[in-house]
Amino acid sequence: MKNTVLVVDDDELIRKTVKRVLESAGIEVQTAESGPMCLDIMSQGFEGLVLMDVVMPEMSGWDTITAMVEKGYAEGNIICMFTGKEVPDERMEHVKEYVLDYIRKPFNNEKLIALIKEYLSYL
Amino acid sequence: MSITPETKYLTIIGSSAGGPRILREIFDHLPHLNGSIIVIQHMPAFINESVCRTLNTCTDMTVKVAEDGEFLRNGTVYIAPSEVHLYLLENERIRLKKGEKVNWVCPSIDVTMKSLIRKPYHKFMGIVLTGMGRDGADGLVYMKSIGAITVAQDAETSIVNGMPKEAAQTGRVDFVLTPDQIKNKLMAELGY
Repeated sequence: MKNTVLVVDDDELIRKTVKRVLESAGIEVQTAESGPMCLDIMSQGFEGLVLMDVVMPEMSGWDTITAMVEKGYAEGNIICMFTGKEVPDERMEHVKEYVLDYIRKPFNNEKLIALIKEYLSYL
Repeated sequence: MSITPETKYLTIIGSSAGGPRILREIFDHLPHLNGSIIVIQHMPAFINESVCRTLNTCTDMTVKVAEDGEFLRNGTVYIAPSEVHLYLLENERIRLKKGEKVNWVCPSIDVTMKSLIRKPYHKFMGIVLTGMGRDGADGLVYMKSIGAITVAQDAETSIVNGMPKEAAQTGRVDFVLTPDQIKNKLMAELGY
């Protein structure tokens, strides 16, 4: 399970594209279309790297990370924001220690694979 | 004939979100430099050793997780462990101490930079890389006041431009550089 990436994004096209790209490189991928769905997967013992969209309806990426931290789900997992936003939300500084990187959308397939593989090697 | 003490070079690098890949660019093929480098990377504790191991494969310098009480050695890069602040005693010895978060983080770049003291034959460089918030900005101002060369990563290559921008806005940053230029600056100033 430690080599798994969880893609959290409300955009189905993004979820499918990232899943296809990463799986082509032999990386196991799970997807969640919302923050609550992400938390549900985490509650089942997910271990790996979470690629978290920032802007999502109902529960933003930052709110989801805050909930992950409160529930202890952040422990042992790598979290990277997955965003098209230029400037991150400075109000969320209290959880910034848990975010290792910001990966920009749109992304280059090869660079994304290389970066995810490197971070998975940290686990 | 008088004996002139050897100059000691100490560099503090602070980085946060996106830092591991920028650090890898800076340390990639970096030769054994004449000096010590302290890296304050905001990250969860369980990847301290992994980040250290990755950087160790990039450079001729020795990269290790900093330990409480150890004396700085030439040609060595010390990675600050998570959840403690890293202080430098007399610019020569590492003290790791639990404490309140500063700028929402522990270890804080500001805390380490501000623990330095002006001493004869001690030369400093302070570098702030990619990251959210303003940790490192006050630290660089302090380092400048004790004679350090101060550097911020440029906006274009910063994954998140919060920390470098805040540092540059203090007006106390000497150079705004890309990771490649930072590597060259380290080599030029410290020598190898």
